[in-house]
Amino acid sequence: MRYPRLNFEPFFCFSHRPRLIYAPGVRRELGYELGQLGGRRPAVFTDPGVLEAGVAELVLAAAREEGVAVAGVFADILQDARLDVINEGAAFYRSSGADSLIAVGGGSVMDTVKAINIMIGQDEEDFHNLAYQAALWEGAKALPPHLAFPTTAGTGCEVTTALVVLDGEAKVKLSVTHPYCSSDIAFLDPELTVKLPPRITAFTGMDALTHAIEGITSRGAQPVSDALGLHAIRLIFTYLPLAVREPGNIEARGHMQIAAALAGMCFGNTMTGAVHATAHALGARLGIPHGLANALMLVTVMEFNLSEVPERYRLIASAMGLETEDLTPLEAAVKAIEGVKTLKEEIGLKDTLKSSGFSGEEEELQALVELASGDGQIGYNPRYLEDEEIRKLYLNALK
Amino acid sequence: MEYWKDETEPIKAFLKLFEDAKSDADLHEGLKRVNQLIWFDYTENGPNCSFHVDCRGGREVKVAPGKPAEEPDLTMSLSADDAHRSWSNKLNPVMAITRKKIRVKGSATGLLKLAPKLKKVAEIYEKTLKDLGWEDRIIR
Repeated sequence: MRYPRLNFEPFFCFSHRPRLIYAPGVRRELGYELGQLGGRRPAVFTDPGVLEAGVAELVLAAAREEGVAVAGVFADILQDARLDVINEGAAFYRSSGADSLIAVGGGSVMDTVKAINIMIGQDEEDFHNLAYQAALWEGAKALPPHLAFPTTAGTGCEVTTALVVLDGEAKVKLSVTHPYCSSDIAFLDPELTVKLPPRITAFTGMDALTHAIEGITSRGAQPVSDALGLHAIRLIFTYLPLAVREPGNIEARGHMQIAAALAGMCFGNTMTGAVHATAHALGARLGIPHGLANALMLVTVMEFNLSEVPERYRLIASAMGLETEDLTPLEAAVKAIEGVKTLKEEIGLKDTLKSSGFSGEEEELQALVELASGDGQIGYNPRYLEDEEIRKLYLNALK
Repeated sequence: MEYWKDETEPIKAFLKLFEDAKSDADLHEGLKRVNQLIWFDYTENGPNCSFHVDCRGGREVKVAPGKPAEEPDLTMSLSADDAHRSWSNKLNPVMAITRKKIRVKGSATGLLKLAPKLKKVAEIYEKTLKDLGWEDRIIR
């Protein structure tokens, strides 16, 4: 397919900070790389699931083998980066005498560690006010050395300068950006993801797919991000079904980690759109895991955006490996939506909004619409939405 | 400045924009929900180049030139030209923040909730500029 002529903003900027290191077993480079950054006593942050599955131990063993003295392990991180846990994590870091941070986990762990690192670097006691300030670029300071070991392949937050935190009391998710909060080095070690159950593999993979699709169709889309997002889609459509079917397949796991990082680099520069805005509200109100919430909303939002960016959806369909040569842009775009539906079937993701806890109750619907309409990502959706359109998105997703 | 002859012009335009926007019930309600005292600080273009918006207390939103007498809950500092681009919906906020064209002090979450309404604001701003006889300032 000949590449279409696409518009993008006449001025754009592409940023990418962390170094990516990829190899099965690359965690064993931890000691050398940490030393290069000036770290000697890292605090390790993880969650109970990663700890119990023995995945955190793989990184801790690598640290021991390299003679790295770990200052302590904080394994109390819960689903979503919660303000209270962030503050506890920062207190743990300070009391442990650590000089650097290691994140071992999925998006919740990595976002929590980003927030802790900002608090340490900026010498803050409470993340609450920083979270509500949203943009932490003015006067931002360099932060302590920070290594990330993703144990899922979806979030991509090991490479982005944004994080999403949950204010559990207010039941709201807040997007925060800081120029140095991403890890200094993201270790993509597929051996750390083989214990991930098929279901979580499936919806974290859908998270990566959503990042790529929304990044390519965002109002902030630009050619560099397009290239990254499209290649992420190619990898996801080849390797996600394989990773779900064969959890121990290192080739598939590795390609999914690479895809998640590529999609993270894509959306980290373009922002996302209505899938993320509506999914953040579902996460904040109903506790639906972020990747699953994205998977629940993706098709509905793509249908809504179809007429606005058909050429971009055509590119997406092509990257999915679908034949688009003799089709109009709109016909090809419809194929992209079918492609997502087929992939969800292939990876066994049959969840619906209803089965996830939302049946369309008016009061809850109103609360979701209010949150989504005020979400920082909604303005990047290619098609303009008012509250009424957002309401329809949720109702359509229920069908 | 690229779009303004002196520091009074942008403030005249922006004050009228907010007065005009208040006549849109949806925008007025949205502003009330922000519930903050906001200072739009363009003083890099002149000491009097700023205005403030008082959205507190669920009352009618009040707009006035200059820095507020009370400590603002939120200060948005940028150039008057970038403010013009922003109200015209021609400024990518992420780009502006990451290049420090917009500097934020205080909780921005409430105001960010209005970001999706920028398209509607831009339509009102275009009319505001026409009413002021500044059609040539409209960014196409």
